[in-house]
Amino acid sequence: MKTSIRLSLLRWLILPLMAINLCGAAMVYWLAWVPAEHAFDQGLADSAWALIPQLRLVDNRIDIDLPKPAEQILRVDHTDAIYFTVRTPHGRTVAGDNDFPAMPDDSRLGEPVAYDGVMRGERVRIVVLHARVGERDVYIGAAETMHKRSTARLEILGTLAVMEFVVTLLLVGTIWFGIGRGLLPLDRVRHELDARQRDELTPLRNDDLSAELSPVIDAMNRLLERVRAGADAKQKFLADVAHQLRTPLAGLRTQLEWLRQRVAGDTEAVDSATQMIDTTTRMARHTNQLLSLARADPSQFQFVKLELIRLDKVIEDSVQQFVREADKKLIDLGFQLEPTMIAGDHFLLRDLVDNLIDNAIRYSPMRGSVTVSCRKEGGQGILVVEDEGPGIPEMAREMVFKRFFRIDDKAPGTGLGLAIVRDIVEDHQAAIEIGQAQGGKGTRIVVLFPPVKG
Amino acid sequence: MHVILVEDDTLLADGIQRVLQGYGMVVDIVRNGLNADAVLQRGDASVAIIDIGLPGIDGFEVVRRLRARGNNLPVLLLTARDAVADRVFGLEIGGDDYLVKPFATPELVARVKALHRRGHQSQSSGIVLAGLMLDVSSRRAIANGQPIELSVREWGVLEYLMRNVSRVVSKQQIIDVILPWGEEMTPNAIEVYVSRIRTKIAATGVMIRTIRGFGYMLEAEAD
Repeated sequence: MKTSIRLSLLRWLILPLMAINLCGAAMVYWLAWVPAEHAFDQGLADSAWALIPQLRLVDNRIDIDLPKPAEQILRVDHTDAIYFTVRTPHGRTVAGDNDFPAMPDDSRLGEPVAYDGVMRGERVRIVVLHARVGERDVYIGAAETMHKRSTARLEILGTLAVMEFVVTLLLVGTIWFGIGRGLLPLDRVRHELDARQRDELTPLRNDDLSAELSPVIDAMNRLLERVRAGADAKQKFLADVAHQLRTPLAGLRTQLEWLRQRVAGDTEAVDSATQMIDTTTRMARHTNQLLSLARADPSQFQFVKLELIRLDKVIEDSVQQFVREADKKLIDLGFQLEPTMIAGDHFLLRDLVDNLIDNAIRYSPMRGSVTVSCRKEGGQGILVVEDEGPGIPEMAREMVFKRFFRIDDKAPGTGLGLAIVRDIVEDHQAAIEIGQAQGGKGTRIVVLFPPVKG
Repeated sequence: MHVILVEDDTLLADGIQRVLQGYGMVVDIVRNGLNADAVLQRGDASVAIIDIGLPGIDGFEVVRRLRARGNNLPVLLLTARDAVADRVFGLEIGGDDYLVKPFATPELVARVKALHRRGHQSQSSGIVLAGLMLDVSSRRAIANGQPIELSVREWGVLEYLMRNVSRVVSKQQIIDVILPWGEEMTPNAIEVYVSRIRTKIAATGVMIRTIRGFGYMLEAEAD
């Protein structure tokens, strides 16, 4: 299970911020409710305060002058029921509701005390006021049910909830967006790497100025540089070796051919010389193939080097050489060339054509026929090479492209031809198909090049 | 025929010398570019075979200097490096033909002979191959001693093929050469001309091979 930087960032940003946000919400609630409750309590206390002027002493006993209408005014409240009581410290109710719950007697003079209680089966808020009339203490209690408080509380909570919801959405959204934008350079690098063709070793674009990513890209490019230098060295080495071998091989071949003519009467000597000549030919072919392989390597190939080339002209260039080869096996070599413009590299295309035709001739029987054609169809350049050889069985059609894979070990050849072809096809972003020749017997190889303008 | 061979590899130089001497040619070997430059200035050879990779100055430079002196000596270049690039450059510099190492002996001999012929053609106006002779100045062809009748077009085709012995030429190339600028001809017409020519030169030992779908190659039968 891979960890994700994005998810990690989101987790570390959003969760704590949400927690902080919730704490803030709690505080806001508190800040909204406390003054509200205080105001309600003040209002309730005022009812108690209002009673004090009505108190008097009669026969040294607390009494109150509270006509009924006055009492009714006191109990007016739109939402809640108001209860009150005036009591002596002994518990005698001077006025108000008898069933007013017992009041604490430790409040300071003139300082209302508010607390919650229960009256007549409902929750109420009680305010107690300790007063003195003359020398006598008296306790005034006012209580109200909590309906308007509940309503106020719910309203606060409701507004707060909506606000929190919106803020949360904005918060999460902004963070999400911000992180997405912040991680954009990473995405760009990923896309660039994904878009690369296989083995491409060119440096990554680094116009990224971010302190975090830029050094990583630089390090990556340095690595690519080292790998490319290694691949370059390998290619150069291959090419140098191949070139160095050609002159000695030419010397061997020329001398051996001369020698063979010299011993013309001696069958065995001629035979020996022929074998040696064949071997030098094989060595020469291997050398050429090594060179072609080095040239065609996709990690070396730079796509910018493609230019507009006439495929038919490239094939024409190799006609001379293959007519001679075909003659040896009395093969009927034919061409159907139409002007076909493609984007390509001249060397590589030449190697491609050479290897395909060479393969066809090699695997054709004596007096067989090989046909090479090229045309433009639907904007694409198409090259077809057909022979009348044994054909390539369907199971082997993928394998033949592997280096040194031989269907028939005894047939002369290096096993590299089609591997080279495949590399070149890839360099040109073309496609190759192996199928059966028309007529049922033989192999038909088709190379499809991507379309070009012109 | 006097051949100057410029090649520094002993085995190869020796081998080429043996082979060509077997064909009656006189072969002088030069082993580095600077010496070659001096030897070629003496101007008594009919063909030069020059390897590109040489000590001193390389084969390209030898040819360049040769041509700079106005010397038209036919030159066959030998190369061990990538054939296509070397060929293009070599031909631009002034080489006449090229061979990639290693090569088949018959190929070497055929090309040397062809170059020799070409060199002599520029002095005389005749092209000879087996029993067929073309007199370019008078536009007459003689097969086995007997003059043959050729139309203007047929002559054009035959002359071009004779100038490119043992080389494959496409029908389009033939058309491009024999037609005045602006005129057009179908490849089928060429087929007709070639078939007529074949009849006329039968038994001269010269044959015109058809390369299916492409063109022709004129060569002597069984060299």
